[in-house]
Amino acid sequence: MLPEGDIAPEIDGARPAGPALLAFFKTDCPACHLALRYLDGVARHFDGSASVVAVSQDGCSQTEELVRSLGLAMPVRHDTGLAASGAYALEAVPALFLLDGSGRVAASSQGFAKADLNRFSARLGELSGSPPAAPIPSGDGAPDFQPGCVSRHLEPPSEGAVAPAVELYARKGFRASRVAVPDGVEPEEFCYQQGYADPLPVIPPTVPRVERMLAASGLPPDEVVARVPPNYGPATVEKIAANAVMAGCLPEYMRVLVPAVRALCDERLDIHGVQGTTHFAAPLAVINGPVRLEMGFACGSNVFSNAARANSTIGRALQLVLRNLGGAAPGRIDMSTMGNPGRFSYVIGENEEASAWGPLSEDFGLRRGANAVTFFCCEPPRPVSEHKARTAQVLLRAVCPVLANLWSRRICGRQEALVVIGPEHAATLARSGFGKRDVASFLFENTGIPLREYDGDGGEGTQEVGSYEECTIRGERCYRKFREPGSIRVMVAGGPAGKFSAVLGSWQTGPRGSQMVCLPFD
Amino acid sequence: MSETLVNPLDERVPPAGAPPARLDSLGGARIAMLDISKPGGSLFLDRLDTLLRERFGVSEVLRFRKPTFAKPAPEAVLADIRKMQPQAVIEALAD
Repeated sequence: MLPEGDIAPEIDGARPAGPALLAFFKTDCPACHLALRYLDGVARHFDGSASVVAVSQDGCSQTEELVRSLGLAMPVRHDTGLAASGAYALEAVPALFLLDGSGRVAASSQGFAKADLNRFSARLGELSGSPPAAPIPSGDGAPDFQPGCVSRHLEPPSEGAVAPAVELYARKGFRASRVAVPDGVEPEEFCYQQGYADPLPVIPPTVPRVERMLAASGLPPDEVVARVPPNYGPATVEKIAANAVMAGCLPEYMRVLVPAVRALCDERLDIHGVQGTTHFAAPLAVINGPVRLEMGFACGSNVFSNAARANSTIGRALQLVLRNLGGAAPGRIDMSTMGNPGRFSYVIGENEEASAWGPLSEDFGLRRGANAVTFFCCEPPRPVSEHKARTAQVLLRAVCPVLANLWSRRICGRQEALVVIGPEHAATLARSGFGKRDVASFLFENTGIPLREYDGDGGEGTQEVGSYEECTIRGERCYRKFREPGSIRVMVAGGPAGKFSAVLGSWQTGPRGSQMVCLPFD
Repeated sequence: MSETLVNPLDERVPPAGAPPARLDSLGGARIAMLDISKPGGSLFLDRLDTLLRERFGVSEVLRFRKPTFAKPAPEAVLADIRKMQPQAVIEALAD
């Protein structure tokens, strides 16, 4: 925006005389429509003692149509070729410039704000020696504040004079609007006030910061990467970048974040259902491939904790995308009874270096060594401690009771699990010659709920026993906990010391619920 | 000059839709009920079905069911409801 004190540049070949109020607008901007309605009243009030001029960034026919539909009587000029928009250094519209008697910029603002209009109207009265217009009241049915849209001259060229509306399957979306932080307000606090963030402080998504993210992505800012359930808001590269900035990501993380958003919104994952459930589930992202080491993902000690910037900030950016573009904010769409700490951030790297097996992504058909992100919607980790076992069988018998309690102990055949084996446990299993399939098969065969626990009390899981499969585990008749060995996935992560593992239980699974999604990337 | 931020929110303006007119009376009405298929939901809806007929004089209660509560209703289910032209639809949520 042109700074205060500068001489106002020409508009369509003529330099505006002051005192005046200029209002740049474009015809498809809702905030501009709001501003023009009020500005027309201001223009009528001053009626010749000071000029109030609207400046259209669009062609004659669209502008005339808008003037007619809004019933505007104020003078409207055209910014032919958008030269003035550039000369006034616009970022967003509506953009207001108050000019003093010498034609210099006395004040400016962008976006629609009743407070700005009232302030400018009062100043215009002072400059022109006229009484000010009646203040625009709050609570008249229109919002006090509405962000504007990106200035037309900053939009990428489109085939028509007006950018096309976002369609469900369109691959191009609108550019994000620019929002001016009001004077005297801390940008971090402004983000919080505007509902941009989770309750932790954010890095304000300033234009230069977002542009650094965009440059690192190498993608057009208006490309739609995914539509984020449940509201299906378009996740353009620019929107992802803005949320990545807020989460504290480094620009190079866009390489992971963009494919991760795409995978997160894959319909098979059913994030639509997960975002609205009362259950504990949250989307966990598992990172495989060389990118883990290149970007410093935590794969070892504290893998589920706050150990590495890549895990913590990429996970947080994913959650902000879900919240800001998908609409699933806690207390509105996200009504989880207990929640999940993973809804701040839930990203782990597989400790491939400590594993004798192929990575998790290989289970989904990807070659070993490929970069990949795999999503699993799951509960928080449940701990497994076994410090005495010398064999795979003894060790895995410590995992079985944890698996048995997933979701609700007496519900069988509906769950899936991700068993995250700690490196010391992985070494024990490898010494016993167990591959990943052996581990999953053993856990499947040895996890069940004894029939004696179904004692007619009517509790959860007791009504559906007709669909359960009976088996014998260590001499006792049981119902099998899992449908098949493939319901149990196995991977390695965690630090080198400590004989611990973790079990993560699923949400609703299969085609009628959430299915794991694995996506490779460069 | 104040800082300028890139708006990180979904900026689409949802189209405004007027709610349908309320029914003056349930007497003689044809009411559709969508069971989202949560366990136990059908027990609740059976009772509601009875009350609508016996206490409010509803002439017909049409029952529909989503395949899973975990996902939005498929278009085919919504088309089935529209085809029957009920005067009102009750979508029974759960929990």
